Amino acid sequence: MDEFSVILQIIFWGLYAGCIYILLATGLNLIFGVMKVVNFAHGEFLMIGAYITATVFFLTGANPYLIIVLSMLALIGIGAVVERLCFRPILGTGKLNEIFLSIGLIYIIQNGAAMIWGDAWQSIKSPYSGITVPIGPLAVPLDYVIIMVMTAVILCGLYVFLKKTTIGMQMQATSQNRKGAMLVGIDVERIDVISFGLGCALAAAAGTLWVVSGQVFNPYMGSIPAIKAFAIIILGGLGSIPGAIIGGLLMGLAENGAAYFLGGIWKDAISFVILIIVLVIRPTGLFGEKGE
Amino acid sequence: MVSVQDKRIQYGIPAILALALAVPVLTDSMFIVNLLVLMLISIIFASAWNLLAYSGQGSLGHAAFLGIGAYASTVIAAKSGLSPLLTIFLGAAVAAFIGILIGLTCVRLKEWFLAMVTFGFAIIVQTLTVSVLAPLSGGWDGIPSPRLFSASLPGYQLIEYYFILFITLATLGAIWYIMKSRIGLAFLAIRENELEARAAGIDPVRYRLLAFALSAYLAGVAGALQIHHIGYLTPELFGTENSFWPVTFVILGGLGTLAGPVVGTVVLTVIWEGLKATGMTFGRYVIVGVILILAIIFLPQGLVSLPEKIREWLKRRQKEPVPGTAGKQPGS
Repeated sequence: MDEFSVILQIIFWGLYAGCIYILLATGLNLIFGVMKVVNFAHGEFLMIGAYITATVFFLTGANPYLIIVLSMLALIGIGAVVERLCFRPILGTGKLNEIFLSIGLIYIIQNGAAMIWGDAWQSIKSPYSGITVPIGPLAVPLDYVIIMVMTAVILCGLYVFLKKTTIGMQMQATSQNRKGAMLVGIDVERIDVISFGLGCALAAAAGTLWVVSGQVFNPYMGSIPAIKAFAIIILGGLGSIPGAIIGGLLMGLAENGAAYFLGGIWKDAISFVILIIVLVIRPTGLFGEKGE
Repeated sequence: MVSVQDKRIQYGIPAILALALAVPVLTDSMFIVNLLVLMLISIIFASAWNLLAYSGQGSLGHAAFLGIGAYASTVIAAKSGLSPLLTIFLGAAVAAFIGILIGLTCVRLKEWFLAMVTFGFAIIVQTLTVSVLAPLSGGWDGIPSPRLFSASLPGYQLIEYYFILFITLATLGAIWYIMKSRIGLAFLAIRENELEARAAGIDPVRYRLLAFALSAYLAGVAGALQIHHIGYLTPELFGTENSFWPVTFVILGGLGTLAGPVVGTVVLTVIWEGLKATGMTFGRYVIVGVILILAIIFLPQGLVSLPEKIREWLKRRQKEPVPGTAGKQPGS
């Protein structure tokens, strides 16, 4: 393969990897934007989404790309319960408390999942595995193309939801000024529940796309993607959704570029290197708003 | 309340000390002695984390410093032939140095960023240990670590226990001194209000770095002790679990207090070992998670605040009898 198609291949793989990170980071940012809470257990919701999709797939054999809807709906529910029971009682009692609470959630969710599904690595086979599409000089798996399209559809759907629906606009208002939103009669606690649920649903979408693409999963899979999502939202700026999209794509590209040019071990470490460079140059992230 | 607290300290500390000194005499079981050793090491580790949190910085990656201390001490002992009794402090110094480097990237960051960076840092150190540093570290297989005391020494387990007990007490003493000193006051000032601290002439960056260095040093000591006690070292030491334990211990015991990490570690270790005896595997972690969340929501000052809480509650009950029952139960 010549130099050009290698680079093209890396870009393509980077975009595919970026899709999963974008969904995860967008969910984190959505929750942060509205509630000003960083949910460190976000990777665990990706894991639950992955398991729900896989379980339904094993039971019914339905097309896993369709199960994504079910998985996202289930996670809206789970997210709402988690917000109501865990985060609401401590909202505003200090940022460290929220971080520590996430640790409790990580313990519960990871090991709860291990009790239900066991802790072995599993994988599923997409109905389209083995089919490739020629794009320029490359033959890319059809699954990757579908994943990119679905990510784009989900993000467009989110955009329309935030810009056009009443709840979406209420979420934006709450995110911009919580007290102001209360004053004009928005039930901010309801908006909190909805945002948390939606954020978790995006994580579930990421988890579904993760398993559908044939990657292995187990109850502890969530930590590494979550760390990358953190790096992305630091890169793109806390609370900025366009920042998360650009950051996610950059992260996917950097990761695959590093794996190719520097060696496979750098695939995971590169996100941290980028993180440190960005933090040293611009502590608020590339597109971040200043302070709160 | 001061007098009650003074009394508790006056009698409590000598009682606990006497118990800690006497335990190995009371039991022949090396299993229990071993458990106590690991518990003491956890107390050092949790106290180290607590010191950093005392300055307002919540780390989610303290396993990095635990592991760096352990690896550095083992490698130094293996390469130089020095006794582990010495290298634990050298290894910890390496951890402190790395701690300052990480601190430098984190000092100007908000809580979330700090937690994210430290969380990621532990994973990255683990990645580097099993890849780039594999020739030194043995990769995933790990390397043997020299024992603190030669196994040929009669009663070496007891000697080890008393040695680690001594280090634990010295650590607690040092932390007590730091908290009471101007440094501790500066930590508190930064935690409560950085702007005002700056106005009072405290340089937040310097003190944050100092907190990082001290905390990483103590965590490194804990890691080195643990690994020289066990005798074998694998990169699993860097696992997130080890980063989360000190948080759990301290939150349950009482954040930012000297006794908190001790109480939390002892209580959780007892619960943990009790659950282990019932044959639970994953369920134990779920229970620990539930305990942690309940503590954060309902007992934000930790177990050390429980006596005050109960006393206040009793007082309130005495003062305001439940309406309707007041007439029936006079002076209840």
